[in-house]
Amino acid sequence: MAAIIAQAVVNGLLIGGIYALVSVGVTLIFGVVKIVNFAQGEFVMIGMYISYFLATFLGIDPLVALAVSMPTLFIIGLLLQRFLIRRVLGLGDMPQIFLTFALSLLLMNGALLVFSANYRTVQTAYSESAVHVGPLYVSVAKLIAFVVAMALSAALSFFLRVTDLGKAMRAAAQNRDVAMLMGINPDRVFGVAVGLSLALAGAAGSLLMPFYPVYPTVGQVFVLMAFVAVVLGTLGNVKGALIAGLMMGVAESLGIQFIGADSGLLVVFAMLLLTLAVRPSGLFGGSTR
Amino acid sequence: MLVSLALPLVVTNAFAIDILIRVLLFAFIGVAWNLMGGYAKQLSLGHAAYFGLGAYTSTILLVRFGISPWVGILAGGVVAMLASVPIGALCFRLRGPYFAIATIATAQVLMLLFLKFRDFAWGAEGTTIPNLGNAPLMMQFPGKAGYYYLALVLLAIGLVITRLIERSWMGYYLIAVGEDQDAAEAIGVNVPRIKRDIYMISAFLTALAGTFYVQYIYFIDPATAFSFNVSVEAALVSIVGGIGTLWGPVLGTALLEPTSALLQSWLGSGRGGVQLIVYAAILMAVILWRPSGLIGLLTRRADAPEAESAPVNG
Amino acid sequence: MAEALAVRGLCKRFGGLRAVAELSFAVNEGETVALIGPNGAGKTTSFNLISGYHRPDAGSILAFGRELVGLAPFAVCASGVARTFQVGRPFGKMTVLANVMTGAFLRDKHVHAARQRAREAIAFVGLSAKENSLASDLTTIDERRLELARALATQPRLLLLDEVMAGLNPTEIDQAVALIGQLSQRGLTIVIVEHVMRAIMAVARRIVVLDHGQKIAEGSPSEIVTNQDVIRAYLGTGYAHRAGSETDPC
Repeated sequence: MAAIIAQAVVNGLLIGGIYALVSVGVTLIFGVVKIVNFAQGEFVMIGMYISYFLATFLGIDPLVALAVSMPTLFIIGLLLQRFLIRRVLGLGDMPQIFLTFALSLLLMNGALLVFSANYRTVQTAYSESAVHVGPLYVSVAKLIAFVVAMALSAALSFFLRVTDLGKAMRAAAQNRDVAMLMGINPDRVFGVAVGLSLALAGAAGSLLMPFYPVYPTVGQVFVLMAFVAVVLGTLGNVKGALIAGLMMGVAESLGIQFIGADSGLLVVFAMLLLTLAVRPSGLFGGSTR
Repeated sequence: MLVSLALPLVVTNAFAIDILIRVLLFAFIGVAWNLMGGYAKQLSLGHAAYFGLGAYTSTILLVRFGISPWVGILAGGVVAMLASVPIGALCFRLRGPYFAIATIATAQVLMLLFLKFRDFAWGAEGTTIPNLGNAPLMMQFPGKAGYYYLALVLLAIGLVITRLIERSWMGYYLIAVGEDQDAAEAIGVNVPRIKRDIYMISAFLTALAGTFYVQYIYFIDPATAFSFNVSVEAALVSIVGGIGTLWGPVLGTALLEPTSALLQSWLGSGRGGVQLIVYAAILMAVILWRPSGLIGLLTRRADAPEAESAPVNG
Repeated sequence: MAEALAVRGLCKRFGGLRAVAELSFAVNEGETVALIGPNGAGKTTSFNLISGYHRPDAGSILAFGRELVGLAPFAVCASGVARTFQVGRPFGKMTVLANVMTGAFLRDKHVHAARQRAREAIAFVGLSAKENSLASDLTTIDERRLELARALATQPRLLLLDEVMAGLNPTEIDQAVALIGQLSQRGLTIVIVEHVMRAIMAVARRIVVLDHGQKIAEGSPSEIVTNQDVIRAYLGTGYAHRAGSETDPC
């Protein structure tokens, strides 16, 4: 029994690493630009398709494709902020919500049109292999994904804490006006924030490809997990999003193990409701009023 | 106004009448959403929850107990209204985009529940309602005209309710909450109660539309009843037409529904994908260039919702 | 004289920061009392505690004998305590008249009556000419007037004014002082948070001085101005000589 639980927990942590990566992206944009990116999942999807096509037509391993997907999505992020997001800042909730929401619909259905709804996969040398740690079975592909995801998240944390640009981002997140007074250019800072966030989404996509199929609506699952994780981890809190993402993975895994194979969504909603009912400001938030 | 009453007598093309009925129905759903999302800026993306609850309530009463949908439609409204209280209590703990996400989650949860519960609600296959032919007392009409007038009445009810609220103290309170919740509370607005009340009204009306829809297409299943597309369209028509205005949702629907119907007939089965792309593109265009809605093109003051001009008009 | 406001043992921490510590003071009915102190002293926090935006960790707040702690902000307003905000928060989409009517609806839900009351409040603050302007189009000083009119429309017995004078030029300060004087003459109890000493000296019957969340002095204006603790913490030794200055000596 203990072995079953342990296995479920390990599986959960591994996929939780991806959830964490996506969640960190969402919370980063929200913390700095104060916008919820409803389209974050679609950028994971784009990362996945990029990796898929590089693998299928050029034989490039998805992990190597990271070097393509991340910069590409970073630039897309810069463009996104420059041409779309910037136009709706300060306009209130409605335009901000529905802009990224419309973007999400556009990207999802655009992909549906262009790529059709077929599931596509990439087989790598390690897609099927696993290591045995005691009684536990650990998929290599998922392990690599987890390690890289954690490394990227740590790198982001480091960046935010140590570099000038990172500190500028945190400053702008806390108080945009004061940050401007201190010479921080919010547009540039926001651009980088969105760029980094989308780069993380792209990374998640590449990391997923060895063991997960890509299809136009694949992003929906991840973004849903990410949203709940961001609320659970307290809005805008990068460390919180990371931890909550891992928790979501474990919870989903335990749910699948003990409740049923299709209980994933149920677990997500249960955690959201629980968070709302018990601690709406999240694990790391103060009391709301 | 009078034109709309005479339309069914003039328009005989079934396809055209169907479009008109959909325009009326979705305008009504939009009006219901607008009360909450437009005036009070509580942006729900889960109104399909109430659409579905209304549809299922009346259908269960009809198919299992033989109760007329005229009773069922009201029962559905009440069920939705009651459901909105605990749902609101949870969702209103979040604000802005996270409120929207929470509402999406509730509609999904309901869909999942109805997919699972085969005992009283037929599970994933759904059910058809018996075709009784000409049975006005059971909300079934021989031609399209009957449905047209019913939809027209529903829309009229929605517009009248919106107008009444707009001009009363509640209208002012709703806009205040939408503008600045904390400042509103500082001047005595009972914000939690207003949100709860308007949610109840909005849910009630949306549920009426759900019952109508089942009666119109003679079929229901969880995917249709709690369809995310319904939630999206409810918000979309108001945003495109004119968020927080009386006629906004009507204008938005008049634009979007025929477009979608035409697209569907040209492109056939590609419905879901292309329609949403077009909707998304229109939505993005409106947000980037005219966030207050297209109705601003028709009125002089582009950003002036009705309520605030009420003191001038008396 | 009855006590309009009695604050006793008020404490509030935000994380590790002690914003308000064992604060106690009282305001008599009809008085105008000023709450002064350096930035971060806990003045606005006290207002937020009184008006219900934060819940104190300890202490009690009695307004006309009724406990306010635990009441939501709208209930606090309903019991007769109104406040204005440091940064104006008008309902931009509504006209000035509609804004103030929203406040008036607290006491009477009928549109005509509310409009009447709103017009009176608007006239009092001198905004009648801009009655139908959109609130988002107002200048800063007019925004302040709107804020005040809106609060007055709720028919308060106790009014909390949070830095109404900030950013006003001398003429505007005089106008504001006159308005406050008129309100006081009508019997309204007023507590103002201010940095503009000139205004404070003109309107306040008593002054309460805060520093680091605690009350360090309380008394009449002339007493406070010569109080050594106050001078050290807030006024600066030059103040006694610069009694006519309108800027914050800090």
